[in-house]
Amino acid sequence: MGRSIVITLVCAIALVTAAAAGQDNEAAARGEKRFEECASCHSVAAGEHGVGPSLHGIIGRRAASIEDFRYSPAMRKSDITWTPETLNTFIADPQMLVPANRMAYAGLIDPAERADLIAYLQQATK
Amino acid sequence: MATRLKEVDVVIIGLGWTGGILAKELTDAGMKVVAIERGETRSTEKDYSVPNVRDELRYVQRHDLMMNTARDTLTVRNNRSEEALPMRRLGSFLPGEVVGGSGVHWSGHTWRWTDMEFKVRSLYEERYGKTFIPADMTIQDWGISYDELEPYYDKFERTAAISGKAGNIRGEILAGGNPFESPRSREYPLPPLTPILASQMFTDAARNAGYHPFPRPSANASRAYTNPDGSKFGACQYCGYCQRFGCEANAKGSPHMTVIPIAMRSPDFELRTHSWVTRVNKDSTGKKVTGVTYTNVLNGEEFEQPAAVVLMCAYAINNVHLMLLSGIGKPYDPVSQTGVVGKNYCYQTGAAATLFFEGRHFNPFMNAGGSNASIDDFNINWAFDRAPHGFVGGYVVGGGFNTVLPIGYRPVPAGTPQWGKAWKAATAKWYQTAMQISASGSVMANRNNYLDLDPTYKNAFGLPLMRMTFDYKENEHKMGRHAADFINQTAKSMNPTTMNPATARTDPWTVVPYQSTHNTGGTIMGTNPRTSALNKYLQSWDCHNLFVVGANAFPHNSAYNPTGPVGALAYWTADAIKRYVKKPGPLV
Ligand SMILES: Cc1cc2nc3c(=O)[nH]c(=O)nc-3n(C[C@H](O)[C@H](O)[C@H](O)COP(=O)(O)OP(=O)(O)OC[C@H]3O[C@@H](n4cnc5c(N)ncnc54)[C@H](O)[C@@H]3O)c2cc1C
Ligand code: HEC
Repeated sequence: MGRSIVITLVCAIALVTAAAAGQDNEAAARGEKRFEECASCHSVAAGEHGVGPSLHGIIGRRAASIEDFRYSPAMRKSDITWTPETLNTFIADPQMLVPANRMAYAGLIDPAERADLIAYLQQATK
Repeated sequence: MATRLKEVDVVIIGLGWTGGILAKELTDAGMKVVAIERGETRSTEKDYSVPNVRDELRYVQRHDLMMNTARDTLTVRNNRSEEALPMRRLGSFLPGEVVGGSGVHWSGHTWRWTDMEFKVRSLYEERYGKTFIPADMTIQDWGISYDELEPYYDKFERTAAISGKAGNIRGEILAGGNPFESPRSREYPLPPLTPILASQMFTDAARNAGYHPFPRPSANASRAYTNPDGSKFGACQYCGYCQRFGCEANAKGSPHMTVIPIAMRSPDFELRTHSWVTRVNKDSTGKKVTGVTYTNVLNGEEFEQPAAVVLMCAYAINNVHLMLLSGIGKPYDPVSQTGVVGKNYCYQTGAAATLFFEGRHFNPFMNAGGSNASIDDFNINWAFDRAPHGFVGGYVVGGGFNTVLPIGYRPVPAGTPQWGKAWKAATAKWYQTAMQISASGSVMANRNNYLDLDPTYKNAFGLPLMRMTFDYKENEHKMGRHAADFINQTAKSMNPTTMNPATARTDPWTVVPYQSTHNTGGTIMGTNPRTSALNKYLQSWDCHNLFVVGANAFPHNSAYNPTGPVGALAYWTADAIKRYVKKPGPLV
């Protein structure tokens, strides 16, 4: 009796984790479409710069840390480390978080769309 | 002695909108293509990004992306009794000199010209009789129809990311679009740009007066977008630096970020920059061309590039110049009205009023190139009866902003001193409160407006400059007065605090100030080799392996900006060339 409860519990936990992973994947899939907003300037491939720097490895990266990309003084002085949270604030209104940065992008207003985009970035920039 | 290079399938002279489209289409079709471009390569990443691009001195005053008049220019006069003088500084029009051509620094207003242009003579004669068209007005039908071009318009609109609202899909008239447009097969690829206060106020005024305003279609992406070739666009940021600038957000449809990089990926494509084509060479029969001769402008070295097919894509007036320099086709003579090369050169006219509203804030620094609401009630609306007004053609009217320069834009009411304390106070007071309503009008071909080689002046290569003989005629004066009256009436209905009224352009045309880079004609398309230089596939009647692509092919100029049909015809010509290479010879 006791044993079957344990088994049921284990299965339930596995199901929850699988469901969470599934949700992340769905969010990331939606976020891939949102990334169209960024794709005219950014690539997620390492070393591939466009108008903006490559976003490869962006999570955990310090702002303005890519050697061969010409950042603005504002970005270089910003003292930010890119996490899901700082990215969320930045993408919502780039000029608010880093005034006078040179990214020509007004911001993504919808929080749900930002969450999707960040879910995508977490997967695609690894 | 020119170094002779290995023959290729296709050589393209000039890599702007038309050259870019043809380079991509023909390399896709498996041809070996070389493009020869006098300018250098520039990119959004290095050159057009923030902050470099926001430089009014560099791009507006010093014409950084435009042709260098110290090397080549035109001589200009109003009529044959005058001596033409060289235009030493750019003014009225600003052709590009860079990879991407004028397509880098254009504004993006993109229209579909209709059968009202393509069948101009037949339509006017049928409705108003033969005598309605003045004897010296050399308009003629184009030999092409809207229906033939429709799929190619559609293709160009998708490539260049046009934002707009359809007014007619397959015959169904749709609210909010241009009800006078010809039927399109589907909606624009992107929704219209966000309206601005000036365009909204014009929309309201026009609608209240019973007209049909719609958002002007333009190649400023209203949203992020990926075109059918996979080129990626950012969303327009309304930064206010559009016309004369490259786009910092990759939001303006331009060849340097669409068709050209795609052609560059093909191993069958080669681009040679800093290379100036001086001549297209003919074989001994004179019935075929053999390639081009060009000079490397960095070191003066001369080359001959043989090719099975030659495409002139050097911008309308430059194409005509190359035809004259190469001796292809009979030069036009206005006295005997014989010959075709140089014939039917046309430009555009217009009128504009500035309206001042005390207390309103137009934020003129925030706009896209195409932030404009327009009406076509006096343009492609055939129900508008021209008989009482006595002119052929029409004009499109719009309210909005396009590239309001931080230094150059200084609207003040007429009568304000032009310098000093009073001027300073006025410019501070009125800057935020002004908006414009302006009209762009067609110019009909006239036997006395034409292009030929100048007898006196030469360019840096020792070749004769091209001479432009042009002025507005009575037809344009009448239309200009009609447009000015309409604008002033609409402006008054909006109750501005004060206004600088519109007047018709009736003074002789001059090369200053900037008017528009919408030069047309000179090697026109048509159905008869005696009255046109090109057939409907833009193929030379004289040399069947030469195609001359651009607004040089337009038999007259409409009120609209030209690049809609320029782009569509480039795609149309690409298809014709794919047929041509299978069976070389005249296509009609
Ligand atoms: C300021 C401005 C605003 C405009 N706004 C609009 C608009 O809103 N809507 C619209 O429809 N159109 C607009 N236009 C016009 C539009 O840019 C042109 O219609 C379009 O670019 C024409 O394409 P093209 O291929 O014929 O010429 P281009 O795009 O100009 O390309 C021609 C290329 O040929 C090269 N070339 C010339 N001569 C030679 C030679 N001898 N050897 C080698 N290379 C050569 C040039 O350097 C250039 O790169 C605008 C133009 C300007 C300048
Ligand atoms: C118009 C081009 C453009 C668009 C569109 C754009 N960016 Fe940027 N981005 C830039 C530029 C340029 C920089 C460098 C800014 C600076 O140095 O001031 C940048 C910087 C960044 C940085 C900091 C990188 C680092 O190495 O510190 C991040 C993160 C970023 N962008 C994310 C995005 C995301 C996510 C989007 C889409 C929602 C986006 N960007 C859209 C051009 C763009």
